[in-house]
Amino acid sequence: MTRRLIVLATLVALLIAAAIAELALGAVKVPPGEVLDILFGSGKAGPNHQIVESLRLPRTVEALVVGAALGVAGAILQGALANPLASPDVIGVTGGSGFGAILIIVLFPEKIALLPIGALFFGLLAAALVFAFAWTGRNRGAIAKVVLAGIAMLSLFTAGTTGLLAAFPEKAPSAIFFLAGGLTSSGWENLETTWPYFLVGAILVAFLIRPLDRLALGDDVAASLGSRPQLIRLGAAVAAAFLAAASAAIAGLLAFLGLVVPHVVRMAGKTSSQTFVVPASALGGAALLAGADTLARTVRSPVELPVGPFMVILGVPVFLWLLRRAL
Amino acid sequence: MVATKQAHENEPRRGAGSWRRTPRVAVSLSLLAVALLLWAAASASAATPKRIVALTPFAANTLVKLGVQPVAIGQTIGGNERFAPQLKSVKVLPLSHPNGPNLEQLVSLRPDLVLSTRTWAKGNQAIQSLGIRVETREPVRVNGVISKTLALGSLVGKLPEAKALVAKMKEELGKARKAITKRPSVMVILGVGQSPFTFLPNSWGGDLVRKAGADVLAGGLTSGSGFQRISDEVVVAEDPEILIVVPHGDPDDIPAIAKYFQNDPAWGSTTAAKEGQIYISADNSLLQAGPEVGRTIEEVRKKYLHNWPG
Repeated sequence: MTRRLIVLATLVALLIAAAIAELALGAVKVPPGEVLDILFGSGKAGPNHQIVESLRLPRTVEALVVGAALGVAGAILQGALANPLASPDVIGVTGGSGFGAILIIVLFPEKIALLPIGALFFGLLAAALVFAFAWTGRNRGAIAKVVLAGIAMLSLFTAGTTGLLAAFPEKAPSAIFFLAGGLTSSGWENLETTWPYFLVGAILVAFLIRPLDRLALGDDVAASLGSRPQLIRLGAAVAAAFLAAASAAIAGLLAFLGLVVPHVVRMAGKTSSQTFVVPASALGGAALLAGADTLARTVRSPVELPVGPFMVILGVPVFLWLLRRAL
Repeated sequence: MVATKQAHENEPRRGAGSWRRTPRVAVSLSLLAVALLLWAAASASAATPKRIVALTPFAANTLVKLGVQPVAIGQTIGGNERFAPQLKSVKVLPLSHPNGPNLEQLVSLRPDLVLSTRTWAKGNQAIQSLGIRVETREPVRVNGVISKTLALGSLVGKLPEAKALVAKMKEELGKARKAITKRPSVMVILGVGQSPFTFLPNSWGGDLVRKAGADVLAGGLTSGSGFQRISDEVVVAEDPEILIVVPHGDPDDIPAIAKYFQNDPAWGSTTAAKEGQIYISADNSLLQAGPEVGRTIEEVRKKYLHNWPG
């Protein structure tokens, strides 16, 4: 118990540090005191005020929300599918969102505001198709069937994305940022569009934590305890689909986060209990994405780079270190 | 009856009073007109942007010609944009996908107008949400230069200067297009790495070369973007008399890209290759719109089409 508390406290500290860095650092130097004044409403009006309030604050919140959502999505999918390789990729969301975004970039560049909607719609569509195939016919809801349907859908939408990029190569530079995963300073607009999906996903997850712990004992034991394994699995997949599709709509494709963060917190806390793994994954995911985004914004400032590679650079060493100790 | 009489009796007095009031009314109306004029002038002055950021070479160079110095100009990373010498001391904002300029850097310049392009559509949207005015005034074809120059002049409160500039442009265009008697068949190729794309007649470069007198070949390809990936087989089948290659990429890679296309064995059987008429245009004049369109057409005719008189 003490170990879990230490891990949670460390993650909270990392999250606070990452959020402060995200707010304090950027292409324009704003003194930390002024950042605080602006955040607490006593800053002077001017460009710095606009930079902190309209650009950095929404972006920090986006990084925290998306990071937490992807961490949680990965955690519940790995728990529900009893598969350590499960992530939003497995239920087709990543492939669908990528296709939806590239479709807008390539075919409707003048309607770029629709990009998050396209990513969200196709992400959820891909997940819905996976559910339709996996939860119908024989052995419905079986883990292998879900995973295989997910891989098929991922392949289908990835092929669509690649086909679009091959047909319109001149649009590739615009697409790369989305495919590599990156936050942009778009104010609150993206969150205003996607918050209901995050909320639905979060509510579902809150109801699924304990059932998922029972499911970890095996389908037969869970059923004998009054749980319905297939329903839990479906609920977890739906929740993950909402969280991951909304995240992709804001930040592009960041599959790595949902895969690795739950493993890291499980190894650090030495427990697979979802009552620990889910909140710890939320904290870890948020801290990792905010920290990586600060790097992505500042390494080649004023040019902003995609956050995906930075997240991998930050996350992989920690992951490998824990893996070496755990196995 | 009494009332009518009284009315008649009152008429001259009312007439006299209105005569006395006339100067007051006139003065009031004049004051009102002056106030309206002052208000309109003040509004116009307030609406005329003073701190302008020009993200495209066309906007930046045209502003210079109109006597307006932008507070910053945009330059794509690794780009090779052509800017007027007067812009040497102006702050440069690196442009990268998807937003274009770094928004923090842009906001710190306190611009009241950003002249952008549809390439940075996502960034334009974000800039507007910050309360900064964004306008796109980029010509896609040669004739568009005239209307876009006037539009820019109107935007920055320099319409008379814009009209004068347009008159000069028209004169230069007329001179640049005089006595076109030879119309060679030409393919204009954008070399991205080792991949050839063709400039279509609806692209800036395609239209410009056509205005210079060329019969621009595109192998029947079409695209709203003005560019289309083209197979070497189509280049050979079209058999252009002249091939103009615009190498595109990192400035350090341009010579290698140019060399590759100039010696591309796949094009060896074309008339252009046989007659040594594969030319390289590396200064971006066919890729980016610019206000000196007459001079560019003249250069194309002299350097590549060889249809300039004398």
